[in-house]
Amino acid sequence: MTAASAAPALKPRPATTAALFCGEGLHKRFGGVQAVREISLNVPQGSVFAIIGPNGAGKSTLLNLMSGLYQPDRGRMMFDGIQLVGVPAYKRARLGLARTFQKLRVFKHLSVLGNVIAASHIHHRIPAWQYVIHGPAFARDHGRCRAEAHELLRFVGLEARASALAASLAYGEQRMLELARALATSPRLLMLDEPAAGLNAAEVERLLERILRLRERGITIVVVEHNMDLVMKIADRVLVMDYGQHLFEGTPAEVQAHPTVIAAYLGA
Amino acid sequence: MLTVALQQGINGIVFGSLYVLVALGLTLIYGVLVQINFAHADIVTIGAFAAYFFTFVFGGNYLASIGIALMVGAALGWLVNAAIFAPLRERGSELLPLIATIGVSILLQNAMLLWFGPIPYAFDSPYSNKVIRLWGGMFITWQNLIIIVVSALTIALLYAFMKFTMMGKALRAVAQDRETAGLMGINPNQLIMLTFVIASALAGMGGAMLGPILVLTPFAGTSVIVKAFAIVIIGGFGNVEGTIIAGLAVGLIESFATQLVNPGLTDIVVFTLLLLMLAVRPTGLIAEKREENV
Amino acid sequence: MSSDAHLLASPSGKRRWWLLIAVVVVAILPLVFQDSYWRANLIVCAINVMLAMGLDFILGYAGQLNLGHSAFYGIGAYASTLLIIKLGVPFWIAFGAGMALSGAAGMALSLFAVRLRGHYLAIASLGFAVIVHQVLLNWISLTQGPLGIYAIKPPPDIALPGLPVISFSNPANMFYLVAGFAFLFYVLLDQLVRSPIGETLAAIREDEVSAASFGINCTAWKVFAFGMGSALAGAAGAFYASFVGTLVPDAFTITESFTLLGMVIVGGMGTLMGPVWGAILLTVLPELLRGFGDLRLVVYGAALTLVVLFLPGGIVQAVRIARARLGFLPVATDAGARQ
Repeated sequence: MTAASAAPALKPRPATTAALFCGEGLHKRFGGVQAVREISLNVPQGSVFAIIGPNGAGKSTLLNLMSGLYQPDRGRMMFDGIQLVGVPAYKRARLGLARTFQKLRVFKHLSVLGNVIAASHIHHRIPAWQYVIHGPAFARDHGRCRAEAHELLRFVGLEARASALAASLAYGEQRMLELARALATSPRLLMLDEPAAGLNAAEVERLLERILRLRERGITIVVVEHNMDLVMKIADRVLVMDYGQHLFEGTPAEVQAHPTVIAAYLGA
Repeated sequence: MLTVALQQGINGIVFGSLYVLVALGLTLIYGVLVQINFAHADIVTIGAFAAYFFTFVFGGNYLASIGIALMVGAALGWLVNAAIFAPLRERGSELLPLIATIGVSILLQNAMLLWFGPIPYAFDSPYSNKVIRLWGGMFITWQNLIIIVVSALTIALLYAFMKFTMMGKALRAVAQDRETAGLMGINPNQLIMLTFVIASALAGMGGAMLGPILVLTPFAGTSVIVKAFAIVIIGGFGNVEGTIIAGLAVGLIESFATQLVNPGLTDIVVFTLLLLMLAVRPTGLIAEKREENV
Repeated sequence: MSSDAHLLASPSGKRRWWLLIAVVVVAILPLVFQDSYWRANLIVCAINVMLAMGLDFILGYAGQLNLGHSAFYGIGAYASTLLIIKLGVPFWIAFGAGMALSGAAGMALSLFAVRLRGHYLAIASLGFAVIVHQVLLNWISLTQGPLGIYAIKPPPDIALPGLPVISFSNPANMFYLVAGFAFLFYVLLDQLVRSPIGETLAAIREDEVSAASFGINCTAWKVFAFGMGSALAGAAGAFYASFVGTLVPDAFTITESFTLLGMVIVGGMGTLMGPVWGAILLTVLPELLRGFGDLRLVVYGAALTLVVLFLPGGIVQAVRIARARLGFLPVATDAGARQ
């Protein structure tokens, strides 16, 4: 498992991989602040795409536009050929988009298992009447949901804590719970908003492994991150933003060497 | 025709000023605490009763009774904060303090019912019947004039306090961001207490002046509270200027509505306006679009 | 207020026993209380239980701060009664229509208030309740205003072949009818809450933003919960009218809303069973204190305040703590396997 962290720069993705998500000319303004200005991006299918930039660069806003929390003032977004602008956030889950949040939003009063099960909302196959009279389809769905939830908890290493109250989890564990919940929707595109924030080195390592395993399963991942180490190790492509604008986009190596990027981070 | 309209206008300003006094208290409390004090209306009622008893039982001066009501209100505000809001602040629930104040409201109303009985008290201020003639057949009672003057003075003082004094600024700081204000050496708990005391003092005063106008029963506050909420929402929770404008507006609208429509329907008019306001601009007259940090 | 609370409750085998016991208790109550005064109280209890359950579904499960429940109660009462009196509609159809109208009103309010959070929704619902009360009071041609509507008949007799005619003028029969409906509604809500719908509502209650990211249409579900809860209030209203026989607008003021809120909180919000207890306690307690006159309402207000301050989970929490102290249950709320 640690082999992945020892791996040198990952195999470069072919440039012709189809874009699962593409955004064009995205704008978003809040009152007097232009949070996102003229941002375009293409996220290739099956890649890990990182968005980095100094504080206030608009990275989270961009993610919020992608996930549907906000609608862009201008611009277009396509997910697997489907127009996303105007589509409310809750519909995007069924399309295959999922996300975690920068601020922990676990359901504090539910158990760990309960959190993951609540997140599998779109996967229930129960005829309406069986919600009242719990028949066989209900029981099957019930069992299936639980099994899948346990599987996800196993993946993020929280299986032992399944019956604990979510609020009682340590910070790092809650971050993993967020990940498990997002995965409960069986996404094709997973958006992670600063998943490594507040994690110690060992936890970041495990996060890295899990992201790589997800990519092996074919899930496309967009990561907003401050942790350069993580980004450089797993990203196939990196978009650098500053003041809401596109600063540079390229491979991790290119980004590290780019003078404008360095200047932006050092605060010219 | 014009004189009728102006007369109604004066009545509207009178009621509006009182609504503003009551609503300001609510909006101040909401501004610092993001909490609604449902017992606020009952402080108004108690203020009215306090003024009544001071004037008619102790034989005091009516004008002085306004001051008494102010102090009674202030004391009650201190009590409610100390007993309810302060202990519940740690729990961090949005809902519980609200419900607790509902409980306090029920308690106060029925305690008053027990002590004062359900029969309305005839609170005739010595100024209710003295009239000043204005031009064109219009008039204003001394009572109404007192109300307008006292309210205007109080509101102006409060406004100046909030805008220009150190403490007022500290209050606004706590309203904006309690934690940071605390880090800056401001004691949020003290300021919250101060806010409560001021707010409830205003309510008490409002009660003393409302007493002669409204039907004085233990439930007098209820008739005012929902209207006060309407005003706070229209003006914007925590927004002092908005509340002043909205309060006067509601007073005027109500006054004119009474002329044009069956008086029983004025409440419907006001609350339909409230609902419309909520539909269109939930954050009040002066809305602010801010990005939520998710 | 854990939504997993029902998970740690008895597994369904034991649950069936409790339901059976409840049925038995309901069946013998009118036999225990033979005088008409207490039988009337039992019926009022049942009505309040229905109201409190509906409100809890909205408040405790969907997390919507509804302070205007009295409005739906009143709409159900007046709608059903007016349909019967003015249009000659048969009772049960009017009953259904009353429920449907209240439910629709609840859904309308919810839809309207969908963007409103917490306190704004509370005020909006209050404003709605005031408007409804004022309309009932002032639309004299329709509702006869403060004079009220009199001589409302109880539900029609039921004549089953081979059995004596069941007349609902008999308080015992009326009690069985109302309590029976309350029981059915309880089972219905309980089943919903134990299904993925309960989990969805919990998600919405906890955090709408992340709930949306899991594909939950928060608006639709909030509207659904509001509709269900207010439909139940409408049913209670129809029963109230046909039981009490007279209908005045002042039975449906915001004070009534606060009373119902008190029942839900004192019983234990978000537990469905809690509001049942809260309704029973806060219906019976003022009657027991009747000797104290108006002091009973003071007690009521004090109870609500104290519960919130010291025991926010209400009766349900008190029972849980008591059981833990006596060694029946671990105090920590762990979600066991839901069987």
